[in-house]
Amino acid sequence: MLRTQEYILNFGPQHPATHGVFQVILTLDGERIVKAEPVCGYLHRGIEKLAEARTYTQVIPYTDRMDYLAAMLQNWGYVQAVEKLMGIEVPERAEYLRIISGELSRLTSHVLATGVYALDVGGFTGFLLCFREREKMMDLLEELTGSRMTTSYARIGGVADDVTEGWLDKLDKLMDEMPGYIEEYNGLITGNEIFQARTKFIGKLTPETSINYSLSGPVLRASGVNYDLRKAKPYGIYDRFDFEVPLGTNGDCFDRFYCRVLEMEQSVRIIKQAIEQIKEVDGPIIAKVPKVLKPPKGEVYQEIESSKGIIGYYIVSDGTNKPYRMHVRRPSFINLGYLDEMLRGYLVADVVAILGSIDIVLGEVDC
Amino acid sequence: MFGKGLVKGLQITWKEFWAPKLTVEYPDKQHPMPERFHGKFVLDVDKCIACGLCVNACPNRVISLNKQKVGKKQYLTDYKMDIQYCLFCGLCVESCNKGAIHFTQDFNMNQYFYKNIPLVLVRREAPAEPLEEPATGGEEKPKPKPKPKPQAPKEEKVAEPAPPAAESEAAAGKEGQ
Repeated sequence: MLRTQEYILNFGPQHPATHGVFQVILTLDGERIVKAEPVCGYLHRGIEKLAEARTYTQVIPYTDRMDYLAAMLQNWGYVQAVEKLMGIEVPERAEYLRIISGELSRLTSHVLATGVYALDVGGFTGFLLCFREREKMMDLLEELTGSRMTTSYARIGGVADDVTEGWLDKLDKLMDEMPGYIEEYNGLITGNEIFQARTKFIGKLTPETSINYSLSGPVLRASGVNYDLRKAKPYGIYDRFDFEVPLGTNGDCFDRFYCRVLEMEQSVRIIKQAIEQIKEVDGPIIAKVPKVLKPPKGEVYQEIESSKGIIGYYIVSDGTNKPYRMHVRRPSFINLGYLDEMLRGYLVADVVAILGSIDIVLGEVDC
Repeated sequence: MFGKGLVKGLQITWKEFWAPKLTVEYPDKQHPMPERFHGKFVLDVDKCIACGLCVNACPNRVISLNKQKVGKKQYLTDYKMDIQYCLFCGLCVESCNKGAIHFTQDFNMNQYFYKNIPLVLVRREAPAEPLEEPATGGEEKPKPKPKPKPQAPKEEKVAEPAPPAAESEAAAGKEGQ
């Protein structure tokens, strides 16, 4: 039988749709993908190794640099791990501030993922529309923490600063407007027939494979697996809030995208409740912690639900003021592991759609 | 019906087309920066006791300082930040017990030449010992005296970097010609 010769196409590392520096070596048969080999590591900075030469507090700014789109969630996971190791009780107000800033971080990340996905499949207006709201949220984060993206807001035992005057009202106002904006995204992006044609039934994932590959976050939930750490193993004070876990049915690109849109609505709900509740909570924002942190000998693993999936911190302490070893379970990296099989059999035009739907951040993939 | 979503999307775009502009023309206009913004650092020289807590707090070893013992007190002679390595995390500001170092709202730290990047916050000579000792060791009255002293070198310092920059720019202009 007559066949065309297979050939190799380098997708990246300098390609705007890879969301950073990331290479996929595609083996193509005509326009069909036979094999895809992801090559990561272009952004490797050795954060895990750097942490070994820093004190426990000094590691916090480095965790920002992993998933810089939802930096507060990265901070939060790390400080929770150290608190678990040392047995520190976090004040209630600090927990609320962590929830508010963490969910705001998740919103910025999801808004960006929504907008960039529209850009990936060719809709530029949706991208700019999402950036508009992201800017408003980042202004709020800037007012609270001092930085737009790399917040470094969490501290071991609490948070760095209390809210400024009027900040909660501003946030409340934005959260009131947010459902209207999400409606706009749905009208412009989700309802668009061309967008649906590009994403529906593309890059399908069955629940079994997603569990077997230990995928997490919206990628897992789009396949219909109901596993959200905020519900499954409530950490912090998540058990006090009323929210749902949106699920997909097909596990295709569209579901993964739409899961994030629905999750934004839930984040807005959590923030609204937290704003109501924090007004009645007064007290310190940081627990009494010694200036030099020396956790007892031992090891700890703590995981939280980040915007991309489950982020887990494994810390080994040898009793000194620096971690002996730190390892991070980065959701982007693990979600990327299934890329090869997800791409096989699809057309070359679908590569960007599938890669974009996993919502990776290369800072986190390469760490 | 096919095309319904497209029409709805166009309606939204059309609505946005008439909405007021959210961006500003940057170099001419600027959004105000929030109070806590992590911008350029300033050091309140009078408050600084050269203890070195900020040096130890920094995760990236950005800060370096030199001090000399004048009488009984430590006198800060050099305070330099290699700002190109700074993470702007704010741990140094947090560590300072005296509230000497803090952020400003100034975000523009661009430089034309690499040698101008390090942020020199203090560079001064330690005063001669006999002059300083009675001033610091005395009662409350002479206390304001040392204040003008650091200020004077500070002004000098501010004026100092300007000429080299101008020179170097002029030199660059010459090279360009």
